[in-house]
Amino acid sequence: MASIHLEQVDLEFRVGAERHQTLKSAVRQVGRHRSVGRTVKALQGVTLSIRSGERVGLIGHNGAGKSTLLKVLAGIYPPQRGRVAIDGHICSMFEFITGFEMEANGWENIRTRAMLLGMSPREIDEKIEQIAEVSKLGEFLDIPVRHYSTGMYVRLAFATSTAVNPQILLLDEVMAAGDAAFIESARKRMNDLMERASIVVFATHSLDVLPGFCQRTILLRHGHIVADGPTEDVVRIYIESAPDAPGDRVDTPQHP
Amino acid sequence: MSESMRATVRDVFRAAGLWHIWVRLGIQDVRLKFRRSALGVSWIFVNLSVLVLAIGFIYANLLGQPAREFIPYLTIGLILWNYLTSSIVEGGNAFINSEGYIKQISLPIYLYIFRAFVSIGLTALIALSAFVIVALLYQVPVGPGTLLAVPGFMLMMLASLLLVTIFAHLNTRFRDVAHMASVGMQVLFYVTPVIFPAELLRKRRSLSLVIELNPMYHLLEVVRRPLLAAGPADWRSYAVTALFIAVLAAMASTVIGFYQRRIVFAL
Repeated sequence: MASIHLEQVDLEFRVGAERHQTLKSAVRQVGRHRSVGRTVKALQGVTLSIRSGERVGLIGHNGAGKSTLLKVLAGIYPPQRGRVAIDGHICSMFEFITGFEMEANGWENIRTRAMLLGMSPREIDEKIEQIAEVSKLGEFLDIPVRHYSTGMYVRLAFATSTAVNPQILLLDEVMAAGDAAFIESARKRMNDLMERASIVVFATHSLDVLPGFCQRTILLRHGHIVADGPTEDVVRIYIESAPDAPGDRVDTPQHP
Repeated sequence: MSESMRATVRDVFRAAGLWHIWVRLGIQDVRLKFRRSALGVSWIFVNLSVLVLAIGFIYANLLGQPAREFIPYLTIGLILWNYLTSSIVEGGNAFINSEGYIKQISLPIYLYIFRAFVSIGLTALIALSAFVIVALLYQVPVGPGTLLAVPGFMLMMLASLLLVTIFAHLNTRFRDVAHMASVGMQVLFYVTPVIFPAELLRKRRSLSLVIELNPMYHLLEVVRRPLLAAGPADWRSYAVTALFIAVLAAMASTVIGFYQRRIVFAL
């Protein structure tokens, strides 16, 4: 049985300190207080439980912590405080344009990605033709992916990622890229995948698709869980909540 | 053992257990590195032959060494030295090169350490086959003692794995480290008996300490001596190598303890 439990999870990014630190600045800091570098609190006191069979939507403005939370659930970001207990094989689909071997061709990249996502070599042999077909890349699969366009990366990664059988599926606004025809066929495949997984958590901005997909939705604001409950209620809270902090106003157009 | 240490140990074992992934990735790295070049993997041999020819004939004359002994000595020395250097310099990029995977796939990051370890080790093994040819040409003695090079090489692989671990963590956090290490290895190259025989330094009493205290020299010896003389290396070389590996292991676990949880944020 798959399950997700988070307890009082805090996660902060040390912006200045982590990204731009050189050895010189680290040496300078020795013996001083660690005041250099800002910290951004990406998640604060996040507690939640998701049981097998649940499909959970994740909403909130840009920068509210949706992607960060998904990465914590995936075990990619270790939080500074709190407890994370995840049970079950995880498959994460966050972005489809990185994680390629540029010099390798499409076939090799399918194999690599499928393996990293937890498919066994035999499983890959069985599915690779089907993956190739879904990607609609045809003979482009024979050339190094360095020559691919962004849309082609997305198709390759999407076709491969959706071939796995995860227990826990984590999605981050993945339907955003690709041309119209591909999106149409992709939607069906994504639905199939979501049916197979026993837990689905997916972050999105498209509030209209949410009620169809999941009964439960979580609303994040500034790294806090503001609401967690039936989708209709949470979406209503999200829409009604007036933008009350500077960070929230970014999305709304300014009128003179 | 603390909770986070236990989690780390679990992660290491989980990563090791996924060997079919990192072996494949490591082999693929070697293939792809040479794919677009006309000579392909042969570049490893071309590289080596040019160096051996250039250094070999000049230094053999300069140092008054018979080519029959010096060329095999130089060849194996350079191969092993390159192995150590790339463990540090290429190994330092282990996480950086795998950033695309680390940031979106939930697998323990040690997988990418093992990946770099495989690609670096495989390159060294390919280069080692060049020594076989040189050994045949110059009729290097072969006997049961030659097989002692195998455990010796395993010690070297262990050292390589630890070096990759240490420098991958440090260099992700402080991007200067790989450059500094590469400078350091260049200096060590001239101090360590690779392009000159150890005996020459030993003759000068004041300089002999440079050899005896240099762990790199002893690490080379545990592979080089059995291959050249079909017998074991000096016992002191095994002792220093064991000590060196223990120190590297302590450094690796310290570095992991400090930085492991921050790697993904530093990428």
